[in-house]
Amino acid sequence: MGVKSVENMDRLFWLGRYSERVYTTLKLYGQKFDSMIEEGTGGYDEFCRSLDIPNVYDSAAEFRRCYPFGADDPNSIYSNLIRAYDNAIELREEIGSDTLSYIQMAVYELKKAAGSNAPMIEFQAILDDILAFWGIVDDMIEDESTRNIIKVGKRVERIDLYGRLGVDRTAMAREVHRLTGRIPRTGLRYQKQVVDRLNELVEQPQLDYPAIVREIERIL
Amino acid sequence: MDMMESLDLFERTDVVNSLLARYGVKFGIYKNNTFHEQLFPFDAIPRILSVQEFEYLEKGLRQRVDALNLFLWDIYNKKHILRDKVIPEEFIYASSGYLAQCEGIQPPKAIYSHISGIDLVQGKDSEWYILEDNLRVPSGASYPMIARELCRRSSPRTFQAISVADNRAYADLLKRTLEHVNTGGLTVVYTPGRYNAAYFEHSYLAEKMRVPLVTCSDLEVENDRLYFKDYSGKKEQVGAVYRRVSDDFLDPMNFRQDSLIGVPHIFDVYRKGNVALVNAPGNGVADDKGIYYFVPKMIEYYLEQEPILHNAPTYLPYYRQDMEYVLEHFDSLVLKDVAEAGGYGVTFGSSMTAGQKEEFLRLIKSEPRRFIAQEVIDFCDLPILEKGGKVDRKADLRAFVLSGEETVVWKSGLTRFSRNPDSFIVNSSQGGGFKDTWVLNQ
Repeated sequence: MGVKSVENMDRLFWLGRYSERVYTTLKLYGQKFDSMIEEGTGGYDEFCRSLDIPNVYDSAAEFRRCYPFGADDPNSIYSNLIRAYDNAIELREEIGSDTLSYIQMAVYELKKAAGSNAPMIEFQAILDDILAFWGIVDDMIEDESTRNIIKVGKRVERIDLYGRLGVDRTAMAREVHRLTGRIPRTGLRYQKQVVDRLNELVEQPQLDYPAIVREIERIL
Repeated sequence: MDMMESLDLFERTDVVNSLLARYGVKFGIYKNNTFHEQLFPFDAIPRILSVQEFEYLEKGLRQRVDALNLFLWDIYNKKHILRDKVIPEEFIYASSGYLAQCEGIQPPKAIYSHISGIDLVQGKDSEWYILEDNLRVPSGASYPMIARELCRRSSPRTFQAISVADNRAYADLLKRTLEHVNTGGLTVVYTPGRYNAAYFEHSYLAEKMRVPLVTCSDLEVENDRLYFKDYSGKKEQVGAVYRRVSDDFLDPMNFRQDSLIGVPHIFDVYRKGNVALVNAPGNGVADDKGIYYFVPKMIEYYLEQEPILHNAPTYLPYYRQDMEYVLEHFDSLVLKDVAEAGGYGVTFGSSMTAGQKEEFLRLIKSEPRRFIAQEVIDFCDLPILEKGGKVDRKADLRAFVLSGEETVVWKSGLTRFSRNPDSFIVNSSQGGGFKDTWVLNQ
């Protein structure tokens, strides 16, 4: 299309970020849910701490219900998916109806899962939708900068989450290197020195996770 | 229809509806001041128009829209029709759609209504009647467009067996119409934003035309030109704006000052001929329900032709004779408030209580210009699929007429139906559904 508004650049970036946030937190929640099958209670406070979200849940049952599905909980997976949708719905002409449809389907699937007593089975469909969304972004969107902005949003979010979760160096370095190669091809105005600093940080003998999180948050 | 029974389109209605949901084919509605997105229920049984029927409608619709465009030019310029007393002046100047700011403006190529949505019904006598002309921001073309795409996917056998005019090139037709009046620069679709009832359509048409979808914050006026602001700060001139923002909110410097969705001075750029606004501001004067009464007279006046398509029999309480008729036949008429749209402000005389009737009669007598009365047309029912069977429901047709290099009637249309067996109201905002409209090739 050639011309892109500031708002759409911003929406593309956040669409990438929120789609990644839903994908990763859904997988993390799945692991936690699984461990709670036998344990019954406990452990969710640590989960909240690791993601740097407030533990507003009174019980394990409330956590299991509200963290994935809570419409009034701004940190819930549902709220993050709706934010992805809110950005996607305003990008139809930019990304195309086919691409948008995968985010729309993820919303339907998450709403459907809310009534299930085995939500992890239902979540598989949402993970599939998000993976398909990323796939179709690559396959169907002609405009290179549009594709790159979504992907950069996804990388930024992943580095942020990996920093909070303390993942290993290999995984972190891979994401930083992918970001480094991609971000100059977006047309976004970004902080070059932040990218340089992130590359230095992943070379340190001990990964300074708080510093990585601080840096990634000021990349744009 | 018998032939269609043997094909598999009808049994795949649910599949098509689930695909429509997947693609976010929705409309917005405000209930208790809260915005909701709703799916627009689709019924797979199409309205079918034969070649002959479409040709007849096409002729009549082109005639009507051509006359309406001539009327709009006349009203905002020479006013011959008022001088010749074909229409009383008060019907123009008292109309909420009349904009004094549009006086003397020459829109590009003298076209005012580029996209006209004309609502028709077919009576049980097979006669077609015009119910309403929508010349401001008529919506609805996107629904049959996408439904056809999905129906073809769901039941290719149906379209192999029945030769139907392809309606999916509407976006190309629309783009050509916009390009025809483009004064130089980009063509854009200008939306009030995602909380508008027709936002799906705005974004879908922008996608299909491959033009930017913009909001007020993306546009800027500088040196009597309109520009689209790129993310890099680069400005690109805009030559045609398919605006889906109503006149009132278009430009806070010229219309409602409290508009937060308008572009300051966009109307000044238009006035100077440096951008085409599609449809033109001020068109509301021609689709006023009171002016509707005069459209057949406009056809005779401007084109010196007999109207091909007829209005529903309509009475203007403004005229003494019509007022007498309305008072005498109140119970058999439908009363419409000229200021309302979307199925609102429509009341059936037969459904009023004695108290309501008394109050309404008082209102009509004190504000005769505000209402029109129409005979209730017993319009044709169309079958819809319900609970595994078929039931009949009231349905209308919105035909889309595009005025560019020539006046073209889109070979399709939005057929809306009431889901309530006792209702004549087909609007989506009132719970109605939609059908595709097929024009047969032979």
